[in-house]
Amino acid sequence: MRLLTTVLLATLMAAPGAAAKDPEATYKTVEAKHFTRVEGVELSPAFADYLYAELRNELGKTKLFVQVIGEGEAVEDTDAANSVVIQGVITEYKKGNRAADAIIGFGAGMRSLKMDVNVTRRSDHQDLGAIKSHVKISPRWNEEVMAKAAAHQIAHEVKNALKEKAKG
Amino acid sequence: MAQWGVAEARVGSHRVVFVPAGIVLACALSSLSVRADEPKPTPENTIHVQLAAPVPPQKFAKAPKFFISEVIDRSGNPQPMLVLRDRGGVFLDRQPTEIAREAIEQSLKSAGLLAADAASPDLVLQIYLFHFGLAQGSGLDFFGKVEFSVIVKNVKTEESQQIEAKGTSIANAAIRKKNIQKNVQANIEGALEDAVRNLLRGTQLREAVAALLKDRANAPTASSGDMAVVIGDEERGKRFQSRLVKR
Repeated sequence: MRLLTTVLLATLMAAPGAAAKDPEATYKTVEAKHFTRVEGVELSPAFADYLYAELRNELGKTKLFVQVIGEGEAVEDTDAANSVVIQGVITEYKKGNRAADAIIGFGAGMRSLKMDVNVTRRSDHQDLGAIKSHVKISPRWNEEVMAKAAAHQIAHEVKNALKEKAKG
Repeated sequence: MAQWGVAEARVGSHRVVFVPAGIVLACALSSLSVRADEPKPTPENTIHVQLAAPVPPQKFAKAPKFFISEVIDRSGNPQPMLVLRDRGGVFLDRQPTEIAREAIEQSLKSAGLLAADAASPDLVLQIYLFHFGLAQGSGLDFFGKVEFSVIVKNVKTEESQQIEAKGTSIANAAIRKKNIQKNVQANIEGALEDAVRNLLRGTQLREAVAALLKDRANAPTASSGDMAVVIGDEERGKRFQSRLVKR
């Protein structure tokens, strides 16, 4: 009886951990490129670097990729079919309005960033997903915080897109 | 009366003297307080940055020998060894140029791509370091960045190509000073490793090596004309060159 109780307790303790376990890495490598920006988007040059670094960091956290490689790094031919490349364009940036944010609230005066992200397979450049990302934060926060939020959202969307692609 | 007048004049002159003296004293004190805030390197706040393991470079069709001629700091940072000013400061124990050179040489050496001396390399690397250390982040974490540009030069043909490499790393912020140092060190080491990998495993280096060595291999055949020697390997090419020089 005591043994049965112990086994039952052990099963109950182990079950949530097993359910919450991250999926195994299904892609060998992922390469995130620096995002370009359309004309008229006024962001500091350091923003692109920080977004790139954060995106790589967030992609690593998805546990979907064995390795997150840097921009322009070579990949073995055998791994190319199982590798993805992420490219993006910043299409719109509004720096927001602190007064409107403080007085009106409800999303008015928020700082916003819109991006178009493409996920492609490295070997044949097949489109694995096109993501439209829109991030809104308070204008009191700086650009880097916005980059952090954007990277988190993109990584999440990429993960979902690749999972759906794998299912379908 | 005359004495009173003199006394008044003296008092007036003393006042005039006291005001600038007070200003000078205030300035001196304020500068002293600023100097006191300026962090100083001590063994406690100095970190040692190096690669945990050499980065394996990519495989080249014809493995060339590299030699690092010089590493030049182009960051424009007046204090390159000070990586973090807050909380008593965090300093590097060596110049960033030394750290970068050591990391690249160590990685090249591990794959047998490092020339023994300056006389024997196929390609010479001249490195310009643009950023080494922490960069402006969100404030919620440490953002490490190492960025350099490399001039790859063929010793024989004097031709060169420029390539760029960049490494980034993001580490969690910390509250305790000991943890701050640990995180900063891990962060810079991560960025350095990333930058070295970006350089040695990059397609830019592969293309530069292919272009520069191809030019060298083709040079004698183009200039000869009277000899139909196909230069397949390096040694045959050298022999051919020496014969050509003798003639």
